[in-house]
Amino acid sequence: MASVPSVARTGPRRMTEGSRPHPVTNTEDRTLMRTRNATFARSGRRTASLAAIGLAAAALLSACSSSSSSSTTTTTTAPGGTLAGNNAAYLAADLKAPGGSLNASGSTFVQPFFSAAFYKYTGLNQALQVNYQGVGSGAGITAFQSGTVAFAASDVPMAAADLAKMPANSGPVVQVPDILGGVAVAYNLPGVSTRIKLDGPTLAGIFDGTITTWNASQITALNPGVNLPSHAITPEVRADSSGTTYIFTDYLKSADPTTWTLGTSKTIAWPSSAVQTPKNSGVASSILSTPYSIGYVELSYAIQNKMSYAAVKNSAGTYVVPSPTTVAADADQKTGVSSTDFSIVNQAGTSSYPIAGYSWAILLQKQTSATTGAQVVKVLDWTTHSGGGQDLASGLHYVPLPPAVQNQNRTQLLTVTGPSGQALLTK
Amino acid sequence: MTVVEASPSAPLGRGRRRALPDRWYRSLLGVMALLFGALAVWFLVAIIIQAKPAFSTLGFSWIFGKVWNPAHNQYGLLPFILGTIESTAIAVVLAVPIGLGTAISLAFLVPSRVRPFLSTTVELLAAVPSVVYGLWGLIVLAPWFRETVEPFLTSAFGWTGLFDGPNRGVGLLLAGVILAIMILPTMVAISRDVLIVVPNEQVEGAMALGATRWQVLRKVVVPGARTGILGAFTLATGRALGETVAVAMVIGNAPFIAHSLKSPAATLPSLIVNNFGESTGTELSALFGAGLVLLVIGVLVNSAARWLVWSTGADVTGTELGR
Amino acid sequence: MTAVLDPPADPVVERRRAVQAAAASSLGRRKVASTVALGICWLFLAIAIIPLVAVIAYVIAKGLPAWNRDFFTHSTVPEGYPGGGVWNAIVGTAVITAVATAVAVPVGLTCGLFLAESDGRAAATLRFTADVMTGIPSIIVGIFGYIAIVRNFGGYSGFAGAFAIGFIMLPVITRAGETAFRGVPRSLNEAALALGARRSTVARKVVVPTALPGVITGVLLAVARGLGETAPLLLTIFGNQYLQWNPAKSMEALPILIYNYSNQPYADLVQVAWGAALLLMTVVLVLSIGSRVLAAYLRKERR
Repeated sequence: MASVPSVARTGPRRMTEGSRPHPVTNTEDRTLMRTRNATFARSGRRTASLAAIGLAAAALLSACSSSSSSSTTTTTTAPGGTLAGNNAAYLAADLKAPGGSLNASGSTFVQPFFSAAFYKYTGLNQALQVNYQGVGSGAGITAFQSGTVAFAASDVPMAAADLAKMPANSGPVVQVPDILGGVAVAYNLPGVSTRIKLDGPTLAGIFDGTITTWNASQITALNPGVNLPSHAITPEVRADSSGTTYIFTDYLKSADPTTWTLGTSKTIAWPSSAVQTPKNSGVASSILSTPYSIGYVELSYAIQNKMSYAAVKNSAGTYVVPSPTTVAADADQKTGVSSTDFSIVNQAGTSSYPIAGYSWAILLQKQTSATTGAQVVKVLDWTTHSGGGQDLASGLHYVPLPPAVQNQNRTQLLTVTGPSGQALLTK
Repeated sequence: MTVVEASPSAPLGRGRRRALPDRWYRSLLGVMALLFGALAVWFLVAIIIQAKPAFSTLGFSWIFGKVWNPAHNQYGLLPFILGTIESTAIAVVLAVPIGLGTAISLAFLVPSRVRPFLSTTVELLAAVPSVVYGLWGLIVLAPWFRETVEPFLTSAFGWTGLFDGPNRGVGLLLAGVILAIMILPTMVAISRDVLIVVPNEQVEGAMALGATRWQVLRKVVVPGARTGILGAFTLATGRALGETVAVAMVIGNAPFIAHSLKSPAATLPSLIVNNFGESTGTELSALFGAGLVLLVIGVLVNSAARWLVWSTGADVTGTELGR
Repeated sequence: MTAVLDPPADPVVERRRAVQAAAASSLGRRKVASTVALGICWLFLAIAIIPLVAVIAYVIAKGLPAWNRDFFTHSTVPEGYPGGGVWNAIVGTAVITAVATAVAVPVGLTCGLFLAESDGRAAATLRFTADVMTGIPSIIVGIFGYIAIVRNFGGYSGFAGAFAIGFIMLPVITRAGETAFRGVPRSLNEAALALGARRSTVARKVVVPTALPGVITGVLLAVARGLGETAPLLLTIFGNQYLQWNPAKSMEALPILIYNYSNQPYADLVQVAWGAALLLMTVVLVLSIGSRVLAAYLRKERR
């Protein structure tokens, strides 16, 4: 018989994803619990697909956990998505990181989440300030290579070419996903109140400049009955090196490699008809102020600013509206992500939103300063785990990291050492 | 009665503080001047060293390449050089006549009681920070341009071919207008100063001959102040060439050669400020090369301007226009 | 009685009459042309004043609503959170400008003194260098600040920003100082020297006090210029969401806050940008106007 803590009593049934050897301590309040419950409830589909990893995690749990936990193969728990033991202990220790200040920079995809999470972290641990500047994934990686930031954030992990540019004796680089989000295709179409539908080839045509007006045949074919104007389309794209661009162009290429020829990269040679603006916030602002424009922004920006965004056709042929649920559905299809295999666009499943991706936090495995290193790993551990920063994800229209990914993160962060080899992440 | 022996080597009187010996004083001044010079040299050397790799890998002609595509190792600066020149040209075309007209008004037409107030008002345009101009241009002027100004200009002057393309608000025209506003005070203040110093006898002589006021201005005053006005124009141009933030905020950041006034474009400063944070290796070196090109252009123009203005005697080093 | 003969045709008189006739006949046209041309000059004056009025009016109209107690006492907060302000940017701007001024003024004035006192080739070279430096685009000063300080000292800092701003202020102060010091009558200098004072005493007790109005004006204007510079700070101080008094750490500044918050879809951030723009513009205008008023007042005092 599984001794399942009766978390189910406080929330929807779906909550109990495996035994949760996770006592409700007084470091957690009801709000956190409710948020976590609601989050896991929403990820119904995810639990079913995390089987393989979940079994491995369960094995790990039963080996390490001290409280009474059973395997996850019970009828009331779903396979796979189990948070490793002692999460609370780690989180409590995370909030006791040494005082000081950290500089970090990078992706604007994750910036709304990081802003809120680090603001909350500093509220709980007033000695440590985490100063995150959203400058674009490319600039974040460059800053990390120059050693001017303690950690960087990028929606595209550092590839071999990027790693080759690291200083000679900096050692290996640890890259962990920090959030899961979607890229919305937002547009500004005065007079059209129905949500428009777009697919990969049509989007490719819009963003490489071949489709120039809103009432072009490819667009009207997908949107029968919608009165599209004959106005010219203004594509709104990123001027800076952007991970969001990478995710978007990754989808375009994956949806139809024959129509999208400009490549998959953080920087694209956009056509001259496109208006280029730095940062997700700049593109969002530009779309909002330019009638008849269309662009790609992270979902949080689109929802928070009440932008109109399109329903995009996924690989199953369904037109899916982006939302945390549909982004999670897409991510559930591929849970084994790593820094070398990170793309989750255009996955199978009828409710998967095809333009989704993880954002990654990047840090050195061998930290040069024990204090800074401890600060970095603890902040990142707190931010990437439920009970910590991940609880803020849904409120900002992101998707919290699946528990398997969270477990993987902790394992990775545990490998980070100080200059004399000491482990920095403690509980 | 005692006679106080004053000798060059002893401080005079009962001063408790011992003054620096002259040699030390001169040395101190000399050291500071050397420091200043060393700073300038360090600046030049640092920029050149950072730009050198681009030149050694790409040669020299890359500066005039038409395509900026770092992914394909193409670092052509021509779109940005042209963008810089075009936005400056628009600014100058707008600011020179208006500036000259304003200067004439301030120097000759405005009642003398109101003159200082109006002069100060125009010069205060120079004091507004450029980022505030950028903010105002982006949020206030760009929508107005997109909704009103550009459609009007396109319908009135579209036949010239200068106004092709959709109305976006942001673009070369808006950048030129913002730059014009920013360089106007320089043009006005210096022109006014040089117009005033035209010898009175010439003005009075012309009026005695029965010339109308405009004829006096056109045939006597302005030609007399010709060099100074040219200097003002050049100084204003130099200021427009180097402006970074306001332009970057309103020009649209398109790394292409603009084919119409409404096109988004980019300038050398906007290229550098947008791409610096994310560039490494050859691209970073290319950005320093772009900085070097900008430096050469800016220094040449500004030096010419200062020489022209200096030769008329008007001194602007004490004002915020003295850049 | 002989008839009065007409005097022989005098070419000069003839010419004069022809000119006067031409002038008389064209007077109407010339007057109209003059009125039109001068009218255009008045119009241009109005056109020149309009942008300034428009900018100031908009900044006040949009920025004033952002000014509340939190604005001046709290640091920036993420979008959507209430109670944010720009206190961290105010402190950053103040510290960076103070450090830049503290270094640029002594060095600049000393160099100005050097230039005022010597006329040799070294002085000419220095003067030319200073003039050229005032024309360097500020973005290049920014990239210099990055490679000189940020790269060499391991990170972004307020000192790097102060270095870049000081670099911009230095030649302005030097030339303004030189102009002011040269404005001191030679007779005062020579009188002091004749009394046996050393040069440093002359400088300290005669030249600087006499030139003080011009020096203060020049310094205030240099500070006003330094406050408005954005591009150098973008590349050197990184920004900081928290209050930071230590210039060895990364800091926030009003110009870069305005730059970052201006192109945002979140209305509350744009509101903060306007408020910060109003603050920055007010300080810079007060300094500019104040320096003129001070100069006029001190000049009157001397008379």
